[in-house]
Formats: sequence, C-alpha cells, structure tokens
Amino acid sequence: MQSKMKESDPILEVENLSASTDNLPILKGVSLTVYPGEIHAIMGRNGCGKSTLSKIIAGDPSYNITKGDIKFLGENINSLEPEERSQSGIFLGFQYPIEIPGVSNLEFLRVSTNARRKFLNKEELDTFDFEELVKEKLEIVKMDHAFLSRSVNQGFSGGEKKRNEILQMALLEPKIAILDETDSGLDIDALRIVASGIKKISNAQTGIILITHYQRLLDEIKPNYVHVMSNGQIIKTGESDLALELDKKGYEWTDNFIKET
Amino acid sequence: MEIIEKIKTNKSIDNQTEIQKICLDKLQSSPLPNPRSEQWRLSNKSKLSNFLDYSVNENYSKFDTPYPKNSQSTVRLIIGENCQIKLIEKNYSIQQLSEDELHKYIKEQISFFNQNEHWSDLLNLSLSCKNNILGLKINGSKIPPIEIFSHASSNSLNAKTLIIFLENNCSVDLLQVNLCEDNSSLSQSTFFCLEENSSLNHGVVSYGVNKSNLLNSLNVIQQKNSEYNLGSLHFKFNYARFEIRIKQSEGNAKTNIKGMQITKKDEQISTYTKIDFDGPNGFLDQINKSLADDKSHAIFEGSIIVPKIAQKTDASQLSRNLLLSNLAQIDTKPQLEIIADDVKCKHGATISQLNEEELFYMRTRGITLTEANKLQLSSYFQEIIAFIPVSKDRWDLLDKLLNEN
Repeated sequence: MQSKMKESDPILEVENLSASTDNLPILKGVSLTVYPGEIHAIMGRNGCGKSTLSKIIAGDPSYNITKGDIKFLGENINSLEPEERSQSGIFLGFQYPIEIPGVSNLEFLRVSTNARRKFLNKEELDTFDFEELVKEKLEIVKMDHAFLSRSVNQGFSGGEKKRNEILQMALLEPKIAILDETDSGLDIDALRIVASGIKKISNAQTGIILITHYQRLLDEIKPNYVHVMSNGQIIKTGESDLALELDKKGYEWTDNFIKET
Repeated sequence: MEIIEKIKTNKSIDNQTEIQKICLDKLQSSPLPNPRSEQWRLSNKSKLSNFLDYSVNENYSKFDTPYPKNSQSTVRLIIGENCQIKLIEKNYSIQQLSEDELHKYIKEQISFFNQNEHWSDLLNLSLSCKNNILGLKINGSKIPPIEIFSHASSNSLNAKTLIIFLENNCSVDLLQVNLCEDNSSLSQSTFFCLEENSSLNHGVVSYGVNKSNLLNSLNVIQQKNSEYNLGSLHFKFNYARFEIRIKQSEGNAKTNIKGMQITKKDEQISTYTKIDFDGPNGFLDQINKSLADDKSHAIFEGSIIVPKIAQKTDASQLSRNLLLSNLAQIDTKPQLEIIADDVKCKHGATISQLNEEELFYMRTRGITLTEANKLQLSSYFQEIIAFIPVSKDRWDLLDKLLNEN
C-alpha cells in the first residue's frame, strides 16, 4: 500500500529498524515511510514496541540501534543527538509528559522555540516577542495564560499536560510529529481540543504519526494509514477501516497475522 | 600547627584580651576536637589540620569585593575595617555594642560552651582580637538592608566575630558574606539575639578560591514571637564547616532555614545544625541541599531537640542531595529527639542524580545537553537562592553558580 508513487520525497523513512536496550531486543525490523501531508496511526498491545519506536526516532540514548536506518528528509539521522533531531523538525509528544520543577514553562517554551528558530535561520525571540507568539498559540489548545508562569508540567492535570505538549508542537512547527498516546487520560472535551489543535497545526507539508489504543482519537483525526504492531514488528498495514475492525475484534484478531507472518 | 602549640603552652601574650585568655584556657586540656565525637567523626582530619596550618593574621588586609559596589540604600560593613558605626535615624538606629556589653555577652555565652560542640567558637574567640569583633544593636523599623563582609587574606588564618542584638519589634534583612582568598583560612563566629517580636531575614554566602578553608559558626537565640529566616550558600572551599545552633528560648517562635552546599574536586563541605525548642508552639521548616561532584564530600547532620516543655512544636527537616559523580560522597543524617508528646515533627533525606528522563525531555525540545543540565541545576539552586535576602536584586548568584557548575 505504501509503495504507490508519491509526488514528493518522504519526510521520514524507517528502514528495517532493530533496536535493543540492555541487550534486550525491542524492535525487530520495523519499516515505515511517511510522506508530507500523511497521517499514520500505530496501534498494538501494550509492550509491543510502539513507544520504543517513537523514542528511538526522537533519539533516546537509552536504546541502541542494532540494525537498519532512520532517514529524515533523506538524511540518515541514526547518530544525531535528540536536540539535533528536534531542531531539524522531529517532534515527540510524550505519553507521560515529564514534570520539571523549578523551570518556568514560559522560559522552557522560549528556549525550545528559539533553538528551532535558530536552526531555521529565523530571528530568535526575546521575552516580549515570544509572549506575543505564545499568546496566539495558546488559543489553539485553549490553555490559560497562567500555565506559562508555572513550572513545566508541575501540578498540571493529565489533560493539561497533553495540551501543553500540543502547545509545544504548535510553537516548534515540526516537519513530523510523533504523538505517543496523546489521547490517554483525556476526557471527551479535552480529546476534542487536543485533536482540533493537532488538525490546526498539521498541513500538507507535515507528517503525523499517532500512537494510540483507541478509535475515538481516529474518529477526530482520520489517518491515511493504520499499522498494527506486535512483538517489535509491524504485522499489518491498512487504511483507516483497519482501526475500526481492530476496535471491533480486539488484538486477538491480529494474532492470526503473526501466524501468517 | 603553630596555633595548637600556642594553645597547649598557653603563653600569655601582652595584648591578649580577657576573652581570649578564657578561651585559650578552655581549649588547653584538649586543643583539638575529639575526632570520634558525633560532631567531628566525618570531618577530614588532614583538611582541618590544613585549616590550622596558617599563621594568624590580626590586621586588616584590603580586598576587592567581587560584588556590586556599595549602594546608597544598603549599609555595608567590613569586619576589621570599618568597625565604627553609629547610625541614628528617625525610624531606626544601628549602633555598636559597648566593650562592656560585648564582654558581658561573650562571657555569658562561653559559660555554656561545650568543648566539642563549640570548639569552632572557642577557637574563634581565642584568636579574634578586638578589631575583628563587630557588635551591633539594632532597633526601630524601616531599617535599610545590611551587608557584612568577613574576609581571609592569602596564606593566613583570619578570625572574625559578629554579634548582633535585634531589639524588640525590629525587622531587618542582613546578608553576611564570607570571602576567602587562595590558601587561606577564615574562622567566623556569629551570635544573634532576637528579642521579642523581632524578625531577621539572614543570608549567608560563603565562597573561596583554591584551597580556602572556613569554619563558620552561627549561634541564634530567639525570644518569643521572633522570626528567623536563614538562606545560606557555601561553595568553592577545600574545607568548610557550617555549624548552626538555634535556640527558641521560650518557644512560640518561627525558624525557616534553606541552605545549600556545593562541592567539587576533592573538597569537603559540611553543615551541622542543632535546633533546640525550649518552650511550646515552636515552628521550624528546614531544607538542606547538597550537590557533590568529582571526588568531593558533602555532609549534613541535623538535630532537632524537643523536650517535654516544647509541646505543640511543629518541626520539619529535609535533606535533599544530588550526587553528580560516582566518586563523590554524601553523608546525611537528619534526626529528631522528641520527649514532648503533643508535637508534629518530621524529617527525611533523599539522594539522587540528575534526572535522565527530564534531560531527554528537554533535549527532545531542542535544548542541548549542556543547557538542559543548566536548567536542571538552576531549578535545584533557585529555591535556596530566592531565600537569600538582599542578594536577589543586586547579585548574580545564580549565574555565578551555573557558570561554575
């Protein structure tokens, strides 16, 4: 299905990727290609390697790539540091956003945004200009300005943390965003706000990978492709109706694909 | 060790004061602290010996303050240099204690001294000549912030003593700065008496250069309804020891302490605190942070004493430590001695490393590893630095720390 001819070059190419941590193999030959404007969903049981894949693409130093390549805009990024990947346009939205006590959210967002802007040869923003920009982006996720004066994610509810992730995505304007279970822990209203934020930020030049367990996020953001992962491999790829089928039949249904594989 | 020889032989020198003679007498039987005692067992003996290796310098040596120049709104005093002060304004007064007042107070304090616990003070008072003792009484309101400097010049041991009486209903911000030059030792003893309803926001910033040593002893007596807030920072010492003894003499007083020590290379910095509640309804909130890197050693020992008379005491002591290297060492022992049965007391200690998850999170937002480390350390330092009075508006302590770590 992914072999059909595309008009532009891919943003992200994961080629036969295997990775381990503490000598324990986690990914066992994952391949995935994302073109501009595409939305991919990755589903699968807990522990199948979905989050590991997202962290390895973002450059988590606690994993070792044992085989395969990750290419971003045609360049191999296997040896790039996480910050270099972020600056060049890869964004990872965390399943459990980290709290950083004592570091102001506003300052954190400003430093991050300026790191990306510097890479893009754009002028870095001082506090006043950044306040203007962030005010505009806060609207996207319907966040109150008061969140900026608090420490990063500290004391935020689950929903507020996820909205803060989408705010960061809006500020960093990535080429590709990997959103790891952004829908977990969200009530219906918060899910709609987050989904609407993602839709506003994404465009024909960006790619999105949604890692999720639930159809409800995919009802809000319709993916072009759905991949099912199991035991460190992508065992099936289909279009959006694959997620619906999975929702109806459960992951036991996918065990048959493993046997076929 | 010339000083210890002097103590042992106890040769009377003509210009010795009576206080010096009393202290030398007290030290004669055991000139050094007992290395097996609880207060001294972790203290590095060779470093303490290095502290005592220098000759005593009683003269004032000029030094360049690496800090902002004096400001009109701040009273700046340098112990040993300008000990003459008499400021009598409409709302307040800052005056020197008379010799008799000083003499009487110190003698009274010495009578309570225990050899091991107060060894640093006994040494200090046996070495401090008249010029290096500053005694002040402060009263009134709208008192300008005060900065008091103690300085140790290279290749010498310098002893400085500060005594302050804060009279009833008076409130003041005071920053005490201890500076040590290369290869020097500073013995600093400080005595505060906070009378009823008085309040003191006290900052202590101590820092040295290479092979600087510091024995810093702080004694505070709080009368009822007084409030004592201490924010302290010690860094860049070959050997430094900060002893804090606070007594809420009638209870019904408030004490807040936020302290931090930073060690690198093979430095050793320790903080010992003893908080005595001698009456009911006392309050204490204490946090001590240590950050140890390379092969250094940071120590915290805290004790809270709550006798039967101290009912309804509310005390909390927390030791938080950050270990940045596999070869660094942190010893921490917060402890409670409670006899009273109606109290709310808690203590705790944590030792951790820089949080890898936090670092990765920041790096995925384009922040470099160096910057992410700085942000983490800055958040660790911030809580303490924000509590040090006077410094926050005019000094660049946070930048200084971040640049050096």
